Amino acid sequence: MLSTIALIASEEGAHHPNGLWLPGDWKEVLWGTLAFVVVVAVIAWKAGPAIKKVMVERSERIGSHLSAAASQRAEAEAERDRIKAALADSDSEAARIVEDARQTADALHAELEERANAEVVALRDRGAADLEAARRQAVANLTAELSRLALGATERVVHHNLDDASQQVLIEEYISRVGATN
Amino acid sequence: MTETRTSAYAEAVLSIARAEGALGEMPDELFRFARAIEGHDELRSTLSDPRIPAATRQQIVQDLLGERISNASVAVITMLVGAGRIGDLEKIADEVAERAAAGQGEAIAEVRSAVALTDEQQRRLAEALTAKTARPVSIRNIVDPTVLGGVITTIGDSVLDGSVRTRLTQLRDAF
Repeated sequence: MLSTIALIASEEGAHHPNGLWLPGDWKEVLWGTLAFVVVVAVIAWKAGPAIKKVMVERSERIGSHLSAAASQRAEAEAERDRIKAALADSDSEAARIVEDARQTADALHAELEERANAEVVALRDRGAADLEAARRQAVANLTAELSRLALGATERVVHHNLDDASQQVLIEEYISRVGATN
Repeated sequence: MTETRTSAYAEAVLSIARAEGALGEMPDELFRFARAIEGHDELRSTLSDPRIPAATRQQIVQDLLGERISNASVAVITMLVGAGRIGDLEKIADEVAERAAAGQGEAIAEVRSAVALTDEQQRRLAEALTAKTARPVSIRNIVDPTVLGGVITTIGDSVLDGSVRTRLTQLRDAF
């Protein structure tokens, strides 16, 4: 691999003072790379399981979090659906209540109207009866008053016209009438 | 006044009339005086006023009647004034007249008229009523201006009404 790298560096042109693609001495690079690999291997050998375990745990935790989130989401969606359903139910209930109220109002209106009409009829009949009674009473009063006035006037006329001769005539007529009824 | 008391006074007056030999005129005189004070409120209230001494009221009777009627009638009226029974004179006089007439087999006819009937008219009316009732009738004529005209005769419970007042009343009732 190093030779390939060196070849490539040589093919693509030197860029550094050594004429190679990598700066400095290629051995330094080789040893550096080997050291790096060793460090990486040691790390992979010693810390790998722990890192892997941590990664697995993290993956599991994230998975559980995802599951919990999914569960919560499902619950939230269920709650949303329930609320939607409840809202729909409340809308229908509200509509039913409004309809009941409307029907009750219509029935009450009809009843009140019927009662008002009945009262109007009763009042009209009563008024007519009162009017007729008042008319009859007025006629009776007027008749009585006319009678009283007429009688008073007649009495005055009769009294002024009943002189002694008239009185004697009336007495004689009376005596004759009593004698005639025997 | 109760019927019993009226009858008692009437009987007493008749006894006095019989004793005084005034049975012929006393009933008529009492009847006429009773009708006279009936139409005279002031005289009736004066004669029956207990605040006026009885002697004063009796003196008024003496002054009013004087020699106009028999002494027996004056004495009876004076006695009633003193007893405070002048207000009952009308009932007493009616019963006295009825009893006196009944004693002679007669009926009393109370004849009310606006003007006094002449003796001739009273005689003819008495004859007509006698023929009508089949018993002797004695007339007691009362002048009552409210009759207006004509005559109203009352014999017992019977009334023969020929007055102008009644005709006018019938006219009013006919309305």
